[in-house]
Amino acid sequence: MKSNLEHEFVSNLEKHQNIVHKICRMYTNDREAHNDLFQEVTIQLWKAYPKFRGDSKFSTWMYRVALNTAITLYRKSKKDLHTQNFDEVSFKIKAEVYDDEVEQQLQLMYKAVKELNDIDKALVFLYLEDQSYKEISDTLGISEVNARVKMNRIKKTLKNILNP
Amino acid sequence: MDELEFLKQNWKKQEEHLPRLSYDEIYKMLWKRSSSIVKWIFVISIVELLLSTLLSIYMADANYWAQMETLHLKQATIYVYIISYLITFYFIYCFYRNYRRISSTDDAATLMKNIIKTRKTVKTYIAYILISTGVYSVVITWFTIQNHQMVQDVKDASKYTFDTMDWVKFTVAGFIILAIFLVALWLFYRLIYGILLGRLKRNYKELKKLEM
Repeated sequence: MKSNLEHEFVSNLEKHQNIVHKICRMYTNDREAHNDLFQEVTIQLWKAYPKFRGDSKFSTWMYRVALNTAITLYRKSKKDLHTQNFDEVSFKIKAEVYDDEVEQQLQLMYKAVKELNDIDKALVFLYLEDQSYKEISDTLGISEVNARVKMNRIKKTLKNILNP
Repeated sequence: MDELEFLKQNWKKQEEHLPRLSYDEIYKMLWKRSSSIVKWIFVISIVELLLSTLLSIYMADANYWAQMETLHLKQATIYVYIISYLITFYFIYCFYRNYRRISSTDDAATLMKNIIKTRKTVKTYIAYILISTGVYSVVITWFTIQNHQMVQDVKDASKYTFDTMDWVKFTVAGFIILAIFLVALWLFYRLIYGILLGRLKRNYKELKKLEM
């Protein structure tokens, strides 16, 4: 029975691993830290899995646990996750599709997002993942109004970072 | 256009550049829980040391030491305390070393080796507790019998004289009581560490299955 649960969990995670990878990219700056965070998120998800009863979608539940793990870990070891060079796992888009200027702009934008604090980063991440404010507020445990207000503030902060 | 909207429009396109882990690679990550089991073994051993220290401080009051003095066992008891603490600290150090080893292991083969080592350390520790308790109880009982006149004020010594048969009965009864006590102690340790050891064993079996 236990191994069935494991199988079910690993299959689900394999299917939805992109979510975790994107969170790892958002919160870490090099391959090693990325893998460490992925590992930690996997363990936390697995620990929490018996409590996941399928009331929500696996992916929705995953957003919550994974972001919480990233935020907690990020707080614990800010230095570890923040000191490496940015280029290695930056936001990559196929060069042949986009001209250099667009790509450069995206890189700058992504870099600016990474400068935000851990909670704001989570908010932006969910926003980029095309989640509604309702979903964002549920995942982060804040009110919908609060999420909107925060988002507006973040947009201003990003503008300031990009156009100093 | 809003910068964030611009990023959002291109957000999906990064997915093809994301790393992709296989089922087995993710499955292997679950084994890392071995490290948290070993951490618990380490924590429990420390809690156990603290509790037993508190208990011995509580039990070994002035009265106890006075009694040990009359039995000529005070010095010996102090030595036994020192030695047993040294041994206990050594085991705690081993538990800590096992924990460090397991949490820094990346490949399955080394992890398996370390799991075996950890299980062995815990088993040796339990064996040490049982054997030392047994030996200590026998020695203390023997000394008490040897010197019991010193602590008990006996009026009619003939009532307390044992013939050979009495000694046999006494010895057998003593060993049965000791055996029951040791079995109870063993069960107690099985309960504390057994669950964790069981989990480690299961992880080990899963690792082995995947290795093949």
